Amino acid sequence: MYIPKASKFDPDSNGHFGKFGGRYVPETLMPVLLELDEYYKTIRFDEDFWSEVDTYLKDYVGRPSALYYAKNISDELGAKIYFKREDLNHTGAHKVNNTIVQGLIAKKMGKKRVIAETGAGQHGVATATIAALLGLECEVFMGEKDVERQELNVFRMKLLGAKVHSVKSGSRTLKDAMNEAIRYWVTNARDTFYIIGTVAGPHPYPMMVRDFQAIIGYEAKAQILAKENRLPDYVIACIGGGSNAIGAFSHFLEDEGVTCIGIEAGGLGVETDKHGASLEKGSPGVLHGQMSYLLQDDDGQILEAHSISAGLDYPGIGPEHAYLKELKEAQYENITDQEALDAFVWLSQTEGLIPAFESAHAVAYLKKIPKEKIKNSLIIVNLSGRGDKDMIQAKDLLSFD
Amino acid sequence: MKKLVAYITAGFPNNSFTIDLALALKESGVDSLELGIPFSDPVADGPIIEEANLIALKNGFKIEQLFEISSQIATQIDTLWMGYFNPFYHKGMDLFTDYAKEYGVSGFIIPDLPHEEAKVYTDLMNKKDLSLISFVAPTDSEQRIKQVVENSKKFIYLVAYAGITGSGASEDLSQTITNIRAVTSTPVYVGFGVDEKTAKEKAVGVDGVIVGSAFVKILLDNSLSNNEKIKKISNLAKVIKDTINS
Ligand SMILES: Cc1ncc(COP(=O)(O)O)c(C=O)c1O
Repeated sequence: MYIPKASKFDPDSNGHFGKFGGRYVPETLMPVLLELDEYYKTIRFDEDFWSEVDTYLKDYVGRPSALYYAKNISDELGAKIYFKREDLNHTGAHKVNNTIVQGLIAKKMGKKRVIAETGAGQHGVATATIAALLGLECEVFMGEKDVERQELNVFRMKLLGAKVHSVKSGSRTLKDAMNEAIRYWVTNARDTFYIIGTVAGPHPYPMMVRDFQAIIGYEAKAQILAKENRLPDYVIACIGGGSNAIGAFSHFLEDEGVTCIGIEAGGLGVETDKHGASLEKGSPGVLHGQMSYLLQDDDGQILEAHSISAGLDYPGIGPEHAYLKELKEAQYENITDQEALDAFVWLSQTEGLIPAFESAHAVAYLKKIPKEKIKNSLIIVNLSGRGDKDMIQAKDLLSFD
Repeated sequence: MKKLVAYITAGFPNNSFTIDLALALKESGVDSLELGIPFSDPVADGPIIEEANLIALKNGFKIEQLFEISSQIATQIDTLWMGYFNPFYHKGMDLFTDYAKEYGVSGFIIPDLPHEEAKVYTDLMNKKDLSLISFVAPTDSEQRIKQVVENSKKFIYLVAYAGITGSGASEDLSQTITNIRAVTSTPVYVGFGVDEKTAKEKAVGVDGVIVGSAFVKILLDNSLSNNEKIKKISNLAKVIKDTINS
């Protein structure tokens, strides 16, 4: 049974990962965050709580997710490539690992309503799903631009009984959805639980969501040891806010010889102003309740991000990644829209796996690892989600005769 | 006399307008000015102030303008800078405190910098004789109030309801006010949702009110000329100042 473990990268009592993290929110929310922090301390390592979670993860989500040896791609690259199949989870991505636990916490804390921000719609769907399961009201905030490019997920959320707010301000993407979710939360602080979808936001969210997603690496480690009798050389995952990546990395970070690589959205190229590579091109700053790396101008105004994939279209990143980058404990690279789209087709046609656009960024990096490094190496790529949600967008971008 | 603090968005639509408006507000009985720094992601603000922020940025607002405006007005009317933390952090608290000192700005109001994160700046603010305004919210317990107002200076910003600026919400604040009074003698000003209709009621039991959206709504009214806007905002300020003291 999975129970989170304390890590050497845990934040301090006010949620600081080095200088990153913390709680930068209006005072109205501080008592709510302090209450959540206290509550989480009581269940973080509690066997009874995690055994309840375990039942849902096994029978409802379908865990453990498989670790699949991809022979065709391995032969092509001259390496051993495994995919951690988060795409097989109920609702189609890793997001449900997090929402199921936060939903249970909301319920135990006596909240009647949950809210969520969403980019690709995967977190919105995962939240709407557990709200239906647990009998909670659900409202989801989504940028107007994402509502258009992820219309299937919008319908799924509504079918599941959630109310979807289309957010029209700013860049009309994930950043603005989160602004609006925070405004709703401040207004309804007493009875609403905010289910944040990634390892971002004010403390204790980055630590909680990491604990909930770390089941990915926990399983993958046992699986790779069983199959290969050794640890991988590389663990690769895409990064929007960073939850599937931190989930995949956290059980490997303290192992010598394993290199964890996070892939940011390179958009039209990091040399342009259209990308989502906050670690590569940003600088430290405060947004959405936390200090981390941000895309910002010389006055500290937040810049719009760009990515082909709605789930990576975000100008910030979780604070623990900022910390790991500064400590050089993980490596961060980026992949362009075009490279991701090529990998989307490549994985579909060589392995019969259609990845989410987000996950395609991690897959694409396999082709960018220098030849001498990849040769004979053992690699785990986290396949964070499946591509069903991207079919409408892909249809406009690709043609086959 | 109960005090009136006015929030206006800096540089909206341009510097000379903000300067004229500030001086007119002083004549109308406004005691302190909250000069708002436009920010791309103002999460504590409702649609009115958000819109003013976003339009100002679209028109090219730069932080330089805040300094320029302040150099012209801060000696005439008590001025505080109100803004989200990121611009302060990005350009540097050292730089902001230096300029504040130079121009005579009396303090900062930063709604997303709670007590725990603000502590590291206490020495810097004290050294420059500047106030970092403490917020109290109606969700705060007696114990938390004690913590957050411990080193409060100038005034305490009591948030009138759980929510964002400019909404019609209201809450019974009497217990919160009692809890504040029990631990500090710093004056208490209430802000959020104060306009000419609500001012009287919101001012009960406190030492002043902070008005933002009601003024900014007039700033955003395109049917008015700049002169008409200044006149209308000044009149509203007078009415509110009279109301809270009647
Ligand atoms: C399939 C998938 N992968 C990755 C992400 C990015 O989020 P994170 O970086 O938190 O894993 C998303 C977000 O929507 C997603 O749907």
